[in-house]
Amino acid sequence: MEQNNSLPPFPQGLASPQGAMTPGLPIFSPMMPYGTGLTPQPVQNTNSLSLLEEQQRHGMVGGSGQTPQLYHSQVSTTTALPGNTPLYNTPLTPMTPVTPATPASESSGIVPQLQNIVSTVNLGCKLDLKTIALRARNAEYNPKRFAAVIMRIREPRTTALIFSSGKMVCTGAKSEEQSRLAARKYARVVQKLGFPAKFLDFKIQNMVGSCDVKFPIRLEGLVLTHQQFSSYEPELFPGLIYRMIKPRIVLLIFVSGKVVLTGAKVRGEIYEAFENIYPILKGFRKTT
Amino acid sequence: MASTSRGDSLPKVQCPNHPDAILVEDYRAGDMICPECGLVVGDRVIDVGSEWRTFTNEKATKDPSRVGDTQNPLLNGGDLTTMISKGTGAASFDEFGNSKYQNRRTMSSSDRAMLNAFKEITTMADRINLPRNIIDRTNNLFKQVYEQKSLKGRSNDAIASACLYIACRQEGVPRTFKEICAVSRISKKEIGRCFKLILKALETSVDLITTGDFMSRFCSNLGLPKQVQMAATYIARKAVELDLVPGRSPISVAAAAIYMASQASAEKKTQKEIGDIAGVADVTIRQSYRLIYPRAADLFPPDFKFDTPVDKLPQL
Repeated sequence: MEQNNSLPPFPQGLASPQGAMTPGLPIFSPMMPYGTGLTPQPVQNTNSLSLLEEQQRHGMVGGSGQTPQLYHSQVSTTTALPGNTPLYNTPLTPMTPVTPATPASESSGIVPQLQNIVSTVNLGCKLDLKTIALRARNAEYNPKRFAAVIMRIREPRTTALIFSSGKMVCTGAKSEEQSRLAARKYARVVQKLGFPAKFLDFKIQNMVGSCDVKFPIRLEGLVLTHQQFSSYEPELFPGLIYRMIKPRIVLLIFVSGKVVLTGAKVRGEIYEAFENIYPILKGFRKTT
Repeated sequence: MASTSRGDSLPKVQCPNHPDAILVEDYRAGDMICPECGLVVGDRVIDVGSEWRTFTNEKATKDPSRVGDTQNPLLNGGDLTTMISKGTGAASFDEFGNSKYQNRRTMSSSDRAMLNAFKEITTMADRINLPRNIIDRTNNLFKQVYEQKSLKGRSNDAIASACLYIACRQEGVPRTFKEICAVSRISKKEIGRCFKLILKALETSVDLITTGDFMSRFCSNLGLPKQVQMAATYIARKAVELDLVPGRSPISVAAAAIYMASQASAEKKTQKEIGDIAGVADVTIRQSYRLIYPRAADLFPPDFKFDTPVDKLPQL
């Protein structure tokens, strides 16, 4: 079991997750329960992310309450390959209501790809934006337009907004680990410029994912039946805006079958939302 | 004449012969009349209609039967204010020549903003000749939103414009956002935002717009005859049924259908003219037209008289 620690050791005060299943467990272990009927299991799933979700659910439902966000992003281990099977924990409330999908139906077999992660971190000291802008590479600072330094790095390709209070917003990463890595790189840049930068309260604020259901969708039908959740105004926006209550995710559904999911704090919410919407979308498939 | 009060909070007036009949109010004479037998059940009811006019031959500067503005109980929350008019005679002026009793101004200060908004709504609606029922509905919507206070931070004009848009939709005669923008100083983006917020606040919804809702207005603005209008309606409906234009706004499809119908008839309109009327860019009309052009022969109504045959339709 290999922990890919591309990061410098961070406070490991928080122990490994309680529950039998640890994130480090390799995917193909025989201990993984294959089908439990809680969520529709994919028959063959190359990414096996929902399988992972299943085992986490099993591990978590036993004892833990809501595990904090920060903790999960710290402990999760990933390979550097984006979009592939990074192991993750889904923080779940103790009484996780079962997803409304009927057990008899199959899951979609489509996995939404993460496109953007927005995270914030506190560097813990006041910064002088002018010196940062002058000395750092790839930094722009126009105080009349916006009160922060906009810095970019190439690997992972991200953009950061660095404010004089010491807080920083990091956008553009494609996975949680990349976002954290990028934020650390920015922190190191600031540190090298002479500021006593720390890395406090890293938190992922928003995750955006997208996928394709591969069939055209009748948006008019969807807005008729799901009126309280959907808003479809072709004059304002060509897609249907579906605000799912549980999990709290906003989905943009287009006629072509492409779906954009946003508003998630953890990866599992995106997957769960997509699994919820997929049978509904199947019901509104265009027949011609 | 029976005014039986049954000890309810409201004394109920009913006809003695037909207690179940709903009385018809004739406010001109201040009567309540039973529709079954015609009996005048209650008279001397206060006339809340607009003031009466007296036609006298004498000087009409002072009209003694003036009782004030029409009562608007639904919208004003019972505005029974007193206004002091300008005095006549020497006694009403204090020294310096100012009039005493200057209180002419403050009336229902709590609803001043609402009254202002009603005025604005009426102005906007007048510009596009909207009928009274839409204006009334708009006023009602505005009142509900205003009382709810959930959109308090938004500009009243934006809320009023959005209410106007919703009222037109609810009455079955939707106006495009651009048409509302044309009579309002608020941007389309802000009206769209307020529109979504109001729907959420009032927990209502509106029907989806269809191509046929706009045909009669656009075609008459362009001066197209009825046959062309009917043909355009048919084309647009068929195009949507056959799903030739997935994801296109119904306005653009309607504009393209009008273009096709007008080009096939004697009154040919250019894309620019149609774009001006519909509020659609002419490249958008071109795009939608390209999508419906291949099936043009199927889209026309069967009884259409072609001035230009289908194969001679412009192809762009």
